Amino acid sequence: MPRFRTPFNGYSVKFSPFVESRLAVATAQNFGIIGNGRLHVLESTPGGLVEVAAFDTADGLYDVAWSEENESLLVAACGDGSLKLYDLAAPAGANPLRSLQEHRKECSSVSWNLRRRDLFVSSSWDDTLKVWSLARPSSLSTFTGHTYCVYHAAWSPHHGDVFLSASGDTSVRLWDLRQPMPTLLLPAHAFEVLSADWCKYNDCIIATGSIDKTIKVWDVRSPQRELATLLGHGYAVRRVQFSPHAESLLASASYDMSVRLWDWRAGGGAPMRGWDHHSEFAVGLDMSPLQEGVIASSGWDGQTCVWHINNAP
Amino acid sequence: MEHASQRLSVLAKQISTVQDGVSGLSLQACSAGDSAAYQRRGVALDDVVIVSALRTPLTKARRGGLRDTDAIDLLATVYRATLDATGVEPAAIGDIVVGSVLGPSSQRANEARIAMFFAGIPDTVPVRTVNRQCSSGLQAIADVAAAIKAGYYTVGLAAGVETMSAHPMSWEGGVNPGVERFPQAQGCLMPMGVTSENVAARFGIDRRSQDAFAAASHRKAAAAQAAGKFKAEIVPVQTKLKDPKTGEERAVVIDADDGIRADATAESLAGLKTVFKRDGTTTAGNSSQVTDGAAAVLLMTRREALRRRLPILGVFRSFAAVGVDPSIMGVGPAVAIPAAVKAAGLAIDDIDVFEINEAFASQASYCVRELGIDGARVNPNGGAIALGHPLGATGTRCTATLLHEMKRRGRTARFGVVSMCIGSGMGAAAVFEAGDAADCPSPRVMPGSDLNLSRDFRG
Repeated sequence: MPRFRTPFNGYSVKFSPFVESRLAVATAQNFGIIGNGRLHVLESTPGGLVEVAAFDTADGLYDVAWSEENESLLVAACGDGSLKLYDLAAPAGANPLRSLQEHRKECSSVSWNLRRRDLFVSSSWDDTLKVWSLARPSSLSTFTGHTYCVYHAAWSPHHGDVFLSASGDTSVRLWDLRQPMPTLLLPAHAFEVLSADWCKYNDCIIATGSIDKTIKVWDVRSPQRELATLLGHGYAVRRVQFSPHAESLLASASYDMSVRLWDWRAGGGAPMRGWDHHSEFAVGLDMSPLQEGVIASSGWDGQTCVWHINNAP
Repeated sequence: MEHASQRLSVLAKQISTVQDGVSGLSLQACSAGDSAAYQRRGVALDDVVIVSALRTPLTKARRGGLRDTDAIDLLATVYRATLDATGVEPAAIGDIVVGSVLGPSSQRANEARIAMFFAGIPDTVPVRTVNRQCSSGLQAIADVAAAIKAGYYTVGLAAGVETMSAHPMSWEGGVNPGVERFPQAQGCLMPMGVTSENVAARFGIDRRSQDAFAAASHRKAAAAQAAGKFKAEIVPVQTKLKDPKTGEERAVVIDADDGIRADATAESLAGLKTVFKRDGTTTAGNSSQVTDGAAAVLLMTRREALRRRLPILGVFRSFAAVGVDPSIMGVGPAVAIPAAVKAAGLAIDDIDVFEINEAFASQASYCVRELGIDGARVNPNGGAIALGHPLGATGTRCTATLLHEMKRRGRTARFGVVSMCIGSGMGAAAVFEAGDAADCPSPRVMPGSDLNLSRDFRG
C-alpha cells in the first residue's frame, strides 16, 4: 500500500474531485499545538505517493478542501483562524492566492459546496461558521449559535444552501444559507461531537462521531432518536464519512489509531472492516469520489496512506 | 504559549476517557457544558459549591403581604425550606451568617438566633449577622465561602433579611461636626437618591433612558412571573396580616412578589415627579422599591455535596468588594465586577448572566454601559425596580435568582455575576459557575444495549 511520510502530524487528507490520482494533506507541527503547518499535494503513482507541491504556513493546518469548480484550487484551514487559498497552476511566489482572516480562533474545518461551486464554508473554535464566495474578499455570512468550538462543517451534497456543523457543545446543527438560525438543532451526543457527514444517496441521513466513542446515524426528519449507534472505537471518533459509492457504507477515523468501515444498515452496529496501520491518532480520512473503494487516511504519526478497502493497508 | 495551552486544553477534552455506558450521564469535568471557549478551571473537591438558594416572596414595605411578618418568621421560613429541600441534618451546619442592614444590630443578631430554633436547628449551631449595607447578603455568602475554604467548617448557611416595613432607613443622633472638613464624609450622609442624581448628571444618563430601563425591569419581571420562573426559588411564607383599621388578624400564605407592575411603560413612568432634585431624573418609578423579604443559600465543599449526593446548583468562584466616591456610590458595580471577574480568571465576555442590583435605573444603566455588557445578559428576570430591594437580603436574593436562571439555561450559561452598589461608596461582586445540576442531559436508550437496566440485572 502506498504510504507517504509527512514531517509534521497529519490532520486531514482529501482526494481531488477532478484528478483521481491526486490528494492533498494538511499537516501541523507538534500535533497542532504549537508551530508551523504544511500543505502537501501528492500524486499516486505506480512507484508510490509522490509530492508534487508543498506550501508552508506559519501556523498549523487542520483541514483542506479542493475546489469543486477549478481543479488546481484548494483552500486550507489554519490554526491562526485564517483560510488560505492555493492555486497549483499559479507561479510559486503567488501562493497563497489569498488569506481570509476573519475567524478569531483556530479554523477547524472547511468544506466546498458541490452544488453552488463558488461557495465554501469554514468552522472555527470561535464557535462560529462562515460562508465564503470565491468572488468576495470577505465572508458572505457568519452563523452563530454554537456555544463551544465548532469542529466540523459539511455542505449537503443534495442542496446548495444547506450545511451541517458539529460542535464541542455536543450538538449538531443544520443550517440553511437563507436563515440565520439553524433549521435543526440535534442534541446528537452527550459529549463533544467532532465530526458529521451527509449520506450521498439520501438527503435526510447524516452520521455523527463523538468523543463518547460512538458513531450515530440519524434521519433528520425524526431527530428524537438515532437510526443506529455504531460501537467499536476505543476512543473519540475524529472523522466520519459516508461512501460516495454505497448508501449504507461509512468510514471513520479515531483517536484509538484505527480506521474502520461500517455498514450501518447491517444491524448489530459492529464494524465491517478495520485497519490499524497508524501508530498515533488517526485524524484525516477520505474516500475517493472517482475510484470506488479507494480510501486515504492521515494521522499524527506522520503517515498518509492510500489503499483499497479490499486490501490490507 | 497561552495559545498552546488553550489548544492543549481543547484537545485534552477530546481525548478524555469516556466510560462505556455513561453516554447519558455527564461528569462536569468532561462534559462540554460550558459557554466559555475554554475550560479554565478543573473540578476540585474543595471547591465551595451551592446546593440550595431560596427566597421568600418580595413584597412592598408597609403595604405588601409581609408587612406584618417579623425577621424571625422570615428567616425561620427560609432556614426550614433550605433544610427540607436538601435533607441536610441541621446539626451539620457549621455556622449561619445573616446579612441585615436596617434592623437594630444586636436585636437582629438575637432574632437570627431565635429563628434557628423556630426552624428546628439545634443550639449547637452558631449564628452571626453581617452588615455591609446593600451587599450584606452577598457578603454573608462570601464569608461562609471563605470560612469553608479556610477549613473552619464544611457546611454553612448564608442568609439575608430585611424588614423595611418595621425598620425604615433613618439616621439616629446628631452629625459629627468634623464631617464638614471631609468632602467624602459628607458624601456618606447624602440620601441615596441624591447620589443617583449625581451619577445621572456626571455620566449623562437622561430621564428617558432611566424610565425605559425601569419599564424593562417591570416587563422582564412580569414575563418571568407569568412564566412561573420564580416558582423554583420562592418559598411561600405562612404568616398573618393585620387589618390596618380594625386591627383584626388573619392567617395568609404569601407566595408571590407583589411589586411587579406589568403595565409600566417608559411613557407612564415619565409622568412621575422627581423626588430628590428639581429638574432631576430620579423618581419613585425608576428607583428600587422599599421591600420586605429574606433569602438563604446553603454552601458546602464539593466533596461534601458529592458525599451527600446533592445536585450542585453553582460553584462559588470569586468575590470582590471595592470602595468608590460616596457621592456617586452607584458606580460600585462598574469597579467591583471587573475585580471579581479578574479574580476568577475570566473576562467580562465570559459571563453569561448578570444580576446587577437596580438600586436606581441611573446607576444600573451606567454600570451596564460602562462595562460594555450586552443588555440582554443583565437581569433577565427583572431587578430591584420591579421586585424590590430588601437591603440585607438582596445579595442572597440575587444569587437565588441567578443560579435558578443559569440552571434553566443549562449548558448555554456557564458563568454568572451578582453585583450591587453600596451606600457610603462601595461596590461588591461575586462570580458563580454553573454546577452540574444545570447539566443534566436526558438519558437516551441505545438500541441493542441494556444501559438503562440495573447493574444487578446485567449481572
